[in-house]
Order: sequence, then C-alpha cells, then structure tokens
Amino acid sequence: MKDTQAYIERIRRVSRDYQRLELAVDNSLSALLAGQALLARRIEKDYEIQHWNPYLRELWFPVEILDSNIIVVEVPAAINYQPGQLLSLLGPIGKPFKFRRKLRNVLLIVYDTPPTSLLMMLPALLSNDASVTMVLMGTACDYDTGHLPEEIEIIRAEDDLSWQDMVMTLGWADQVFVLVGPSKELSNFADVMRLVRDRRNDVPANYIFGVFQRQLPCAVGACHACMLRAHDGSKLQCLDGPAFDLTYLHLEN
Amino acid sequence: MAVEITRPGKSSLLLSTPVMPAAGTVGFADSYRRLVDYEKLGAIITNPVTIEQWNPASGTRLVPLPGGILVHTGLPNPGLRRVIQRNRRAWERLPVPVVLHLVGTGARQMKQAADMIDGIEAIAGIELGLNDDIDEAEAFALVKAAARIEKPLLVRLPFYESYQLAPAVADAGADALVVSAAPRGTARDEHTGRLVSGRIYGPLVKPLVLRKVGRLRRQVPEEIPIIGAGGIHSPQDARDYIEAGAVAVQVDTATWAQPKMLERIARDLGGWIATRRKDALMDEWHPDMGPTEAAQRRVAQGDS
Repeated sequence: MKDTQAYIERIRRVSRDYQRLELAVDNSLSALLAGQALLARRIEKDYEIQHWNPYLRELWFPVEILDSNIIVVEVPAAINYQPGQLLSLLGPIGKPFKFRRKLRNVLLIVYDTPPTSLLMMLPALLSNDASVTMVLMGTACDYDTGHLPEEIEIIRAEDDLSWQDMVMTLGWADQVFVLVGPSKELSNFADVMRLVRDRRNDVPANYIFGVFQRQLPCAVGACHACMLRAHDGSKLQCLDGPAFDLTYLHLEN
Repeated sequence: MAVEITRPGKSSLLLSTPVMPAAGTVGFADSYRRLVDYEKLGAIITNPVTIEQWNPASGTRLVPLPGGILVHTGLPNPGLRRVIQRNRRAWERLPVPVVLHLVGTGARQMKQAADMIDGIEAIAGIELGLNDDIDEAEAFALVKAAARIEKPLLVRLPFYESYQLAPAVADAGADALVVSAAPRGTARDEHTGRLVSGRIYGPLVKPLVLRKVGRLRRQVPEEIPIIGAGGIHSPQDARDYIEAGAVAVQVDTATWAQPKMLERIARDLGGWIATRRKDALMDEWHPDMGPTEAAQRRVAQGDS
C-alpha cells in the first residue's frame, strides 16, 4: 500500500454510458492483480486538495494494465474528467482473486451494478483457455457489453432473476464470482445464494465468491467500516477481500 | 520540544509533538505504518475498546455528506482482553506512546479494565469516551472509577453536553479533557432510502468545536489541559485550536481522506516542515515532504 500520484493520460469512450481512463501511475502499481483496487481522489497542482467534496476517495477496480505503467479504469461517461488531471492514489488495496487450479469454466453473475470490478480477470482467464459466461441481472442488463472480448458468453436474465439453461450453467461452472450493487448488498448476495442452492445439490467451499465494492474510508483496516461477519470470525473487505466465499459469510443484515 | 498534555502530578503524559490521531481513525496499533511516519506523531489513540466484544453495526455504516461523512460502525472490537493480547507487541514497537480509548460503559467495567490495564507498560494512558446521554452524576462516578487506573486519564467529552459535564469530569480526576466527540446526526442513505444515525465528520465540525475549546478553556481550571478534536483538515486548523487554548490536537477522518495530512499537521506543529527550495520543480517537492526525503531526492538527481 502506497500513497502515490498519477495523472490521466488519455480518455476513451467505450460505450454510450462508460469511458476508460488511462492513468500514468507509479511503478509500484504495475504489479496490481485482478481483484485489487485503488482509492482515488482528484488533486490540484502542488498536490494540494482544494476542496473536500466528495469527502472520501472513489474506489476504482482497474480493468486493464497496459505497458509503461499505464492502468486503465472504467468510469461512468457522465462524470467529467480531463486529460492531465492529477490524482492521488492509495493502493493496491485488498487481495487478488483466487482461482481454482485447472479452472475451465467460470461464471460471473452481475446483479444491479456494472461488471467493472470483474473485468480485469478476463484477459488472464481467456489466455488460459477458460470459458467465461457473464450473467447480467437487474439493472446490470443495461450495461453495453460491445467492448468486452467476444469470447465471453453474455446472458441477460429475465425480470425474475432466472435465465435460460440456468441449471446447466450453474452445474457447468467450476467457479462463480458474484457482483452486486451497493443497495441491499447482503440481501442481494443472499438472493443469489438462494438461487444457486435451489439448483445445485451441493454448494462446496471455494465455489462461489461474492465480490464486495463498499466505499472504503481508510482501506488499511483501521476504521472497520467494511467489516463483515463470517463463520470463522470477522473479515475486512479492505484487507481480506474484496472476494469472500459466500458459504462462509453471514448474509443476514 | 515536549508538550505536557495532562495535569502535572503522579502520572503526567509528555508528547514530543502535540498531534495525535483521534480514536477510531487509525485502528488499534499500526494500521497506517506504510502511509504515515509514526515517529512524527505525538501519540496514538487506539480505536474504542469495550470490556466485552462488540459486533459491527448492521445496515448502512457510511453516508457521504456534502464535504463530510456520517459514520456508524457500532465500534466493533474483540473486547479489552483480546485487544491487549493481539496488539501488545505492536504497541511496544511503536515509537510513540499509546493511549487506549475505553468506551465508558459503567463504573463496574472500569474496575475490570483497571485489572487488565494496570501494569501494562505499553499503554501510556487512557482516554475515556463518555456516552452522549450521560448526566453529570453518572459522568462523575464513571471518571472517578476510571481515575483509579494507574495511568494518565484523558476524558473525551460528548459534543452536546460538554459545558455541563466538564466541571464534574475535572473534579472527578480527569487529567485532561478532549473536546470533543464528533456530533451526532441523521442522514438518508441514498442506496437504501433509509435514515441512518451516526457521528458527523468533516471540516464544518471545526468551527463548532473550536468555540467549545475557547469557552471551556475559560471555564475549567488552567491546570487541566484541553486537547482539541474536531474537523481538523490542515495545519492551520490545528494552529487555530492551539490559539483557542488547546495544548494538543487530535486529527480525525482527514487521515482517511488524505493520510499524509496527519503527518503533515504533526510536522507543522512539531517544527519539522521542510520549505520548498526556490528552484525546485513541481515533481521535486510536495507539501508533506520532510528534510530526509528532500535530501534523498537531491542525491538521486545528482545535486549534492
């Protein structure tokens, strides 16, 4: 974890609603892995903060790392950024996603949120010949996937959170990652778990992981605002996450 | 330079710098070790600790506000005994005194706390946090019980009743007053649509607490030092508290938003700030830079 400065080198619109920022970052962030995040805030020249609104930093999960210390993040196009904008970055935050050995089939379930936090894992999975299916549920169905690799199978769920060949998809997957929106986060994870338990005889450990994207005040394990209750004690999203085995978490609010 | 932040007596607490993090902002020990130079701080105030374990609050814990934040964590902690077990070694390694923040839940609990804390050298002092709803008689009894712990006793006053409680707290044996806990408020969480209550943090808190510090400085005996805490987000904010009568300050959530600000304020009040060389380029200097880093950069650039 370091506090470093960066600047926006290039901005590229990738869909109607999203843009990608290419950030020129400190060397220390080049080794960042899928699952790890950054806390970002805009700063002015001389590295001073000119105002405190928004007060906390934004949580950014990079979607790609290019050569020459360039990290790419995907943010809503409605937010105005300019090339040359200076940023203060804290990171890397959290632990990389853990994948099973001999992983062949990966299912990504995205519910009421854009899939941004999961996108960085895609190139590595595809280059290892893994098959990836992404199910979009709720407001995630509005996400335009035109800029994602074509090898990924995209399924848009029905209004009742079901999708075609649901039983087969869940049985086929070696590992599942679930991403939900910040509204009703735990109950949304509980919804997905119910849906999975109803369609599989057994939900083993290390099979289904929930990816948390709560706003992190400190990101160093100090404030405990991101604390989760698990069967084996409390966990912190900022240090132990963002991905947690959903069979081990207390999902009641 | 040493600053005495408690009243003179059997157990006085001297700090090298009159700047410390507020309770609940930097964890139980050294969570910020990679971002903040602890040697530049005066002390560490731990996260709030209770005798028994407290679980995190359910539901929303953060609500962003314009220029601030509402926080309701539920003060999760594993209980005093475990906090001591898990952090004692880290406390011993820290280069600054550690002040344990105890949540004031009752006089009987203070007796239990004394049994666990007395004799632990790594704990240099106690900060007792008073409940917002406490009355003068309860505060007197609680502080009296806590004063039996053989450590310097700082008492953090609640925001709303601080004028009424301060005399009773001083009479009961507080060695210093921390003014004050963050005010409580209620805001709507836009994600869930629910109203959430918690403590309010941000720059706007500073003028409210600064006034309290000035008034309380005139109200309580001069021998009882006051530590200012609330809304400090810059070195000038901290200097304002000193001017109003505080001997030291506590920096709260500014550390979350900009970790280096805590160290920068400590450097400023501790007399460590490096000035910018007149010919320095933009990337050769930043406001938090100390003399060591500045010298290292000059060597790296071949400018000895």
